[in-house]
Amino acid sequence: MNLKKYLVRALHRLQKGPGYTYKELLVWYCDNTNTHGPKRIIKEGPKKKLMWFFLTLLFASLVFWQWGILINTYLSYNVTSSLSIGFKTMKFPAVTVCNANPFKYSEVRPLLKELDRLIEAALERILQPGNSSEDESPPLDLELWNQIPLVLIDEHDKDNPVILDIFETNQTAVGNDTNVNNDAAGDNETMGNKIMNDFGAKPTCSHQGSDNCTYRNFSSAAQAVTEWYILQSTSILSKVPLHERIRMGYQAEDMILACLYGAEPCNYKNFTQIYHPDHGNCYIFNWGMDEEALNSSNPGAEFGLKLILDISQQDYIPYLSSAAGARLMLHQQKSFPFLKDQGIYAMAGTETSIGVLVDELERMGYPYSDCTMNGSDVPVKNLYSQYNTSYSIQACLRSCFQNHMVEICGCGHYMFPLPEGVTYCNNEDNPGWAYCYSSLRSSIKQRQICIDSCKETCNDTQYKMTISMADWPSEASEDWIFHILSYERDMSTNVTLDRNGVIKLNIYFQEYNYRTISESAATTIVWLLSSLGGQFGFWMGGSVLCLIEFGEIIIDSVWITIINIIGWCKGLKQRRARARYPDAPPTVSELVEAHTNLGFQHEVPGAVPRAGELPPEPGTPPPNYDSLRVRPPDTLGPDSNRDTE
Amino acid sequence: LKRTLPVRGPQAPTLSELMRWYCLNTNTHGCRRIVVSRGRLRRLLWIVLTLSAVGLILWQCAELLMNYYSASVSVTVQFQKLPFPAVTICNINPYKYSAMKEYLSELDKETKKALETFYGFSEGKSKVRRSVDDWNSTGSDFFQHIPLLKVEDFSRTATDLHTGQKRKIEGSVFHKDSSIVNSGDSNDIIGFQLCDANNSSDCALYTFSSGVNAIQEWYKLHYMNIMAQIPLETKEKLSYSADDLLLTCFFDGLSCDKRHFTRFHHPLHGNCYTFNSGDNGTILSTSTGGSEYGLQVVLYIDEAEYNPFLVTSSGAKIIVHDQNEYPFIEDIGTEIEPAAATSIGMHFTRSRKLSKPYSDCTETGADIPVENLYNKSYSLQICLHSCFQKAMVDSCGCAQYAQPLPAGAEYCNYKKNPNWMYCYYRLHEKFVKEQLGCQQICKDACSFKEWALTTSIAQWPSIVSEDWMLRVLSWDKGQKLNKKLNKTDLANLMVFYKDLNERFISENPANTLVILLSNFGGQLGLWMSCSVVCVIEIVEVFFIDSLSIVLRRQWQKAKKWWRNRQQGGLGKAPQAGDPERQGHDNPVCIDEDLPTFTTALRLPLPQNSPLPRTPPPNYSTLHLETAFTEQLPDTLELDQH
Repeated sequence: MNLKKYLVRALHRLQKGPGYTYKELLVWYCDNTNTHGPKRIIKEGPKKKLMWFFLTLLFASLVFWQWGILINTYLSYNVTSSLSIGFKTMKFPAVTVCNANPFKYSEVRPLLKELDRLIEAALERILQPGNSSEDESPPLDLELWNQIPLVLIDEHDKDNPVILDIFETNQTAVGNDTNVNNDAAGDNETMGNKIMNDFGAKPTCSHQGSDNCTYRNFSSAAQAVTEWYILQSTSILSKVPLHERIRMGYQAEDMILACLYGAEPCNYKNFTQIYHPDHGNCYIFNWGMDEEALNSSNPGAEFGLKLILDISQQDYIPYLSSAAGARLMLHQQKSFPFLKDQGIYAMAGTETSIGVLVDELERMGYPYSDCTMNGSDVPVKNLYSQYNTSYSIQACLRSCFQNHMVEICGCGHYMFPLPEGVTYCNNEDNPGWAYCYSSLRSSIKQRQICIDSCKETCNDTQYKMTISMADWPSEASEDWIFHILSYERDMSTNVTLDRNGVIKLNIYFQEYNYRTISESAATTIVWLLSSLGGQFGFWMGGSVLCLIEFGEIIIDSVWITIINIIGWCKGLKQRRARARYPDAPPTVSELVEAHTNLGFQHEVPGAVPRAGELPPEPGTPPPNYDSLRVRPPDTLGPDSNRDTE
Repeated sequence: LKRTLPVRGPQAPTLSELMRWYCLNTNTHGCRRIVVSRGRLRRLLWIVLTLSAVGLILWQCAELLMNYYSASVSVTVQFQKLPFPAVTICNINPYKYSAMKEYLSELDKETKKALETFYGFSEGKSKVRRSVDDWNSTGSDFFQHIPLLKVEDFSRTATDLHTGQKRKIEGSVFHKDSSIVNSGDSNDIIGFQLCDANNSSDCALYTFSSGVNAIQEWYKLHYMNIMAQIPLETKEKLSYSADDLLLTCFFDGLSCDKRHFTRFHHPLHGNCYTFNSGDNGTILSTSTGGSEYGLQVVLYIDEAEYNPFLVTSSGAKIIVHDQNEYPFIEDIGTEIEPAAATSIGMHFTRSRKLSKPYSDCTETGADIPVENLYNKSYSLQICLHSCFQKAMVDSCGCAQYAQPLPAGAEYCNYKKNPNWMYCYYRLHEKFVKEQLGCQQICKDACSFKEWALTTSIAQWPSIVSEDWMLRVLSWDKGQKLNKKLNKTDLANLMVFYKDLNERFISENPANTLVILLSNFGGQLGLWMSCSVVCVIEIVEVFFIDSLSIVLRRQWQKAKKWWRNRQQGGLGKAPQAGDPERQGHDNPVCIDEDLPTFTTALRLPLPQNSPLPRTPPPNYSTLHLETAFTEQLPDTLELDQH
């Protein structure tokens, strides 16, 4: 009982401010809240009251609507970009130089001897179909040929193209069982008058049998021969162990004749050797793997890297690569050079100047954009990590392809690194690999899978190059330059260099060497709060405290409800108990009010108050207007006093 | 619980009362301080502070409004399958020289003669000389209108090419080469004179510091004249066919041929071929970067068929563009060297600007008053060319050869429009000096695609592969060509994506209405804790209420004056309790349905003294807190008792 009394008292004390009915509560709230609208409602006349009521409602809904928009904006994680351009001391990019030709022909000739003879004979047949000179002393080894022969497809008659093996005279009409892959030159009725030899379609059959064949068509013999040669040589070279392949490639001391970085001399020992499947031995300057990356703090050719290379064009493999020059690429430290994608050529007999602008894009990771910081969250195993290089999208795509290749064909492609425990494809062990590879390569689906699973890196750095060329060495200086360079390389007085081999390279920073686009979050939590506050303040003059006030009111109304329910229950009990009394039982609120509120006795003027307490003197007297008007500042005094009474 | 207010806004008897009421009850913070503060200094201080806060708010809000239309840039990178752009390839030489012989023979003879006369150059073949002599006898007046002239040392005399006569130069002299560097040395200058056919005294002499430029320019002028008369079909035949130009083609690891190319006739470059033009509805895309997966073509340049006067360099020109963009190959083409492999790495960037009101660009070009003569999507280049062509047709009556024809116009040629060259040069000069207004009318497009190219060159074919390569390529070219190809007739071209990252640079509005309002709210709240409610209050109090008070007082004055006049100066006090009068007096009170009786009684009071000594009636209590109406009767009764 004591407890109950205590609770009731506490309750009453709590409710003293807001009042005991919903209405009182509301009025009290409106009068005392710090939000601007509600005060107006109760302080105006009836018509204006209505207006203010709707205005307040309108503003409140506006506030909520705008809040919704703001929160939505925040959750969309927009970014703003800022751009900065200028010159600063930066890490000089890693420079990879390769020869366009992977191996010295003098070294690989024994391996490719059979193949070369084969292709020479084939070319002979193609170019002079009439007189087939069969007087060659050693017979051709047709084993290589038979696996993937070069054929001539005469598509004069579109429906049954005639396929002619170059080394055989009998023409085979293609039956329906062979799938002519007419991807490029299928419908060439427009080429009617030319004897259409869609040359060099090479049927690659899967090893199960000849019924599963595709012909790869080429519209040009040159291309067909090159592709065929690459395929065959790949197969041969993949059996050669790596150290042997490195030996067959160009050595640093042969290739890099002179090197100057800024004012400091450097030589081939400053280059890191890496074996690149396309280009053989490549040499990387300033890779940053073992030692600190070099900085460049001055723009201009004088402070950049100057190289003189020799590509010895005479030693090129004739059928493998038809373009001659050095392949070079600028890339970030500790990243693998993907020369086929990003590399540029430098022509022999010229001086190529490359001005560099580092174009960086720094992005924010999840959730702002879908990029990866270091590739650890990409579901593709990075095969290039064996080179100790960082993740890049090219590495991911190639690893993805190689993984697919291993999965489907059972062996790895020669151009990409190998996963654990897998060998490179070659014709002996995997007779059907070429078919498998070309179907995989042209499969759009496979590419899409790789594109979907790989993510770009958040920091995208590009080296924008301004390339210019001049003839080098000049005719006047040619002699002595070649003399000195040959002497330094070979310690002999014979000139071993010529115009077709030497390349001069200047790589340097431009006057403005960086352009950085960096992202920052457009909407932070601070932005969100200040915008929310701004909205609330703008429409209603509210703040967080107003929200708390509102919450308080809700709690209060819950209290009132509880009190009402308790009262109602009590009333029910009492009514049952006093069913015999004639007069109507008091309402709950009356009862409650009777306890506390002195001003509420008038409700039933005639009725005798029921509750324990007698009606005290009615309310407070009306305010003393006189005093109010004379000293306005004091008007507040009595008011607040009364409130706190 | 109750709050008694002395007066409510509209009923306030005077303006100062109203202000006082406002200041005490407003939700903004500064005003209250003014009223509550004691002491003049402090009050002044608060007035200054409040006013400066208001000033700051106005200033800051004005700033916000002015910066509303600003844009922020965002750069996104997307790694995805990219559409391969259209690649248009042209031979630098437009038409086969051998086929053009019949059209150009006279012009060539003329040019050779000029070379011989002015520079003593001759090809050393008697045949040429003879033909020149022939020409003299046949005598076409075709070139006589615009002969090459040798201007001697600014003495305003010129030697005519044919007649050898010296003649006086009239009109203005234009230095085509440089307007800045005046070649003041005594060298003879070569040029040509263009005259207005209708008014032969109006002539302009175009001179060049170098004879090479002069002859080329002069040749081009006549060449365009001749070409304008040849119909398009003939011209297409005269130019290179796809078989002529393209030897091999390889795209994305697969072989391709001339059917992947679309012919496009360029007025200055002859037949050009566009790879992946999207004409057959499909646009090829690349899903792997790198040189193997791009476009690789070997071009046959055929240097033997080059026009010696029209083009002086050899090779091909390519341009990488979007499928619905017009290839302005003469303006922004990249040149390809023969006997070399040119590798072009692309990097794709898409940009998007915000159109009005953020910047002055156009989305579709529909709002530009220049008709698009090219049936491709709008670009600034297209607009400028179309604008110039339109001006040309308007002022010269015929269309310039290098640009498409507007409806109903035809290309200028010497026979029909003898005046066109002069007109063209005049117009072109105006155009360059931005006097035609084209540069003002044309706006740049809001969105554009750009392929940044990195071009590098390697020797091709290499020394060791040269032999078989040329043989096989000659075979590819077809048996009809018996001679072995020369490597300077070939060019290898590789166009590929360096990476599949697409950079998308877009402008976004930096501000939205929501953010602007938030910022307003922040400013209002920061300086004065104000809100829209306060603004409405201010409007209410300062305009509506003040006005009503002023009106009321004016009305009362008028009424008083009227009554005084009517009653003949009886000096009777105003009839109290007149309900009608009261209603007129205080229009706001009519609205309120509460007792007006007492209110009316008291209203005139303020006229006597601003602070009424007797307490006003309860009228404020009466309408005070209508929520408490249940309570009020009680107190009222008590009062009345």
